[in-house]
Amino acid sequence: MPKVIGIDLGTTNSVVAVMEGGEPVVIPNAEGSRLTPSVVAVNPKTGERLVGQVAKRQAITNPDNTIFSIKRFMGRKLDDPAVERDRKLVPYQLSAAENGDVRVKLGEKTYSPQEISAMILQKLKRDAEAYLGEPVTQAVITVPAYFNDSQRQATKDAGTIAGLEVLRIINEPTASALAYGLGKQNDEEVAVYDLGGGTFDISILRLGDGVFEVISTNGDTHLGGDDFDQRIIDWICDEFKAQEGIDMRQDRMALQRLKEAAEKAKVELSSVLQAEINLPFITADASGPKHLVLTLTRAKLEQLTGDLIERTKGPVSQALNDANLQPSAVEEVVLVGGQTRMPAVVEMVKKYFNREPHKGVNPDEVVAIGAAIQAGVLQGDVKNVLLLDVTPLTLGIETLGGVMTPLIPRNTTVPTAKSQVFSTAADNQTSVEIHVLQGERPMAHDNKSIGRFILDGILPAPRGLPQIEVTFDIDANGILSVSAKDKATGREQRITITASSGLSKDEIEKMTKEAEAHAEEDKRAREVIESKNNADSLAYSAEKILREDDGKLPAALKDEVQQHISAVRTALERDDPNEIRSATEALSQAMQKLGAAVYGQAGAPGQGEPPKGGDEGTVEGEFREV
Amino acid sequence: MEPANRHDEQTEPQAETPESEAVRQEGQDEVQSLTVQLQNAQALAEENLKGWQRSQADFVNYRRRTEQEKSELVKFAESGLILDLLPVLDDLERALAGLPQELRGLTWIDGILLIERKFRSILEAHGVTPIEASGKEFDPHEHEAVLRDGEPGEATVVTAELQRGYRLHDRVLRPSLVKVGRPSESEPKTENQS
Repeated sequence: MPKVIGIDLGTTNSVVAVMEGGEPVVIPNAEGSRLTPSVVAVNPKTGERLVGQVAKRQAITNPDNTIFSIKRFMGRKLDDPAVERDRKLVPYQLSAAENGDVRVKLGEKTYSPQEISAMILQKLKRDAEAYLGEPVTQAVITVPAYFNDSQRQATKDAGTIAGLEVLRIINEPTASALAYGLGKQNDEEVAVYDLGGGTFDISILRLGDGVFEVISTNGDTHLGGDDFDQRIIDWICDEFKAQEGIDMRQDRMALQRLKEAAEKAKVELSSVLQAEINLPFITADASGPKHLVLTLTRAKLEQLTGDLIERTKGPVSQALNDANLQPSAVEEVVLVGGQTRMPAVVEMVKKYFNREPHKGVNPDEVVAIGAAIQAGVLQGDVKNVLLLDVTPLTLGIETLGGVMTPLIPRNTTVPTAKSQVFSTAADNQTSVEIHVLQGERPMAHDNKSIGRFILDGILPAPRGLPQIEVTFDIDANGILSVSAKDKATGREQRITITASSGLSKDEIEKMTKEAEAHAEEDKRAREVIESKNNADSLAYSAEKILREDDGKLPAALKDEVQQHISAVRTALERDDPNEIRSATEALSQAMQKLGAAVYGQAGAPGQGEPPKGGDEGTVEGEFREV
Repeated sequence: MEPANRHDEQTEPQAETPESEAVRQEGQDEVQSLTVQLQNAQALAEENLKGWQRSQADFVNYRRRTEQEKSELVKFAESGLILDLLPVLDDLERALAGLPQELRGLTWIDGILLIERKFRSILEAHGVTPIEASGKEFDPHEHEAVLRDGEPGEATVVTAELQRGYRLHDRVLRPSLVKVGRPSESEPKTENQS
């Protein structure tokens, strides 16, 4: 069944996402990038059309035929004041259609902005199809909240021209809120602070019960991350001029390296407190080559760009005014756009609204992700599958030595079922107790006991022989049922444990943390238990062989083995891990000698040795008797 | 016999007792109700089946794509590191390009040249190859124009390489930064060659 894709058709970059297995996934383009520059170009000689990064690369050789920021002209007339202002910033030619709509010259022809956007959408569609391996015919496309009807219609038309049925046009801030799972409670007031590469948008939304309403919007169409980069570049150039007396702004190649270095430093300073800008041989003069080495601290960066961040406050307060809200009345704040990764921006927003803003989703991709979520809802994805939950903690049973043997690891998606075969711990054991546990610690008593029952009627047999199949089954509602079945007799017992008899969210967190803290010692404790179990098994099977094969064994070896068996038993009583280990090793070697003597070959272990969980998938289980 | 006559509602309505009418009505209601339930159950079953089929199909697709991504990942796993290391090679080349004449004979400089050569061959061993630029037709798939000489229509040939571009296996890792100009102006060698 064809998927509906979500598209963030941005001024500078576009992103595509789709729902997969209930999760939104960003689709990389044919070049392997998750962002596609919203740039279209035509080679005037060959007529070859280029879209994306490739178009960007040849912009300088072909300025008249390289179209960028077309979004600024969508659905507008040529005499629109915004158009008059923006056309001065672009090298390509604009003209008017008969009805006054903007037209753009590309190659020999003129196109509407919709047609240009359609070219971008076509590439996005093609790349999505290549990635998904199936045709894509439907999409959800986002637009700024302040787009009017004609701008929205133009966007929808662009989709149609590109061969996409646009199921819905949704607002960018709404999509961002969706990406964070907002809008499920009733009537939340949400502020979306979007500081991208070139534009700033603030939107106040009221969300509730599937309804999204934009109450007010504001912003600055020419304020973004690029301005922050420019401040750093200017600072570098000024520093260098002061040091060397050379103005790097005249050197295009030097500027290119500077630009890259500035952006890199800015990104670094979001996670460390200082960044080194190291550009050897940046330029040269009569006296020789010149190097640039500067340290930019986070504090200095914040100084250089502080006014830009301040500038965003004006539109925010205006938007709140228009919405008739105090900052404190806003219940959720969402950060969108790459520049919001800067700690100073996050800090300002946090102080302004006096609450922690949502920022976990990649801010460059959050709008596309929201669009994909909306696409999923429209497609019926979300309704078909009940909320797939996960078990928060590992579930298992208590086995020999007081350890917990896990059956279902934590964070397994439910519904799910898992079976494992266990056996008895002692000879002639006729019943087993299934002690159901929840938790992460290796020792049973450190976890929470959530259920217990007994399966009896097991036929007397040597330990390790009976096959008891234990099954854990969790249904979609989180109800666990545990059953134990004796494969020989067919007798079965089961209990049902409801979710509430487990642990609360706080308890779960506490348990997980405790497990991490005790991981080392728990591991050692478990190893000790296992070595004790091994020692016990080995001694048991050695005794069995001595008993059963008495006649076949050479007397001297028999005594030796008997001595080692006693040594192991003593060590177990004394409970000294080192002693147990060496005694087990000694016994094992003696057994091998015995085997060699009996079979006349080297290294064959005795036939009575219990399978170490490998062969039949049997794990020894200790089940207490009634 | 008699009961059979009784059941002939059409011709003898008066023969039916209130009790048997109630029973019949009940029966009809029940059939009605069961029919509706059956339809609902069938619809639900259909929906569930579709959902299940779709999930399976999604899973198959997802698995296929994950396999693809895995092999891509293996092939290009190092691209991040290599990309970050290239500026070091660039700077080394810049340094050597500006080597003062009087130092050229020094044995010490030979050592540095050997280091540069070693760096290059290590990259080559990892599948990195330089992109040809100088003198070639400008190709935005491999080159990025930073400077232009002449009018857009005329500037079609790479006249100078400002920063070398590289491929990793068959993919462009970093495009060459170039100056584009008129065909007759192309230089015989790049600015960066020592």
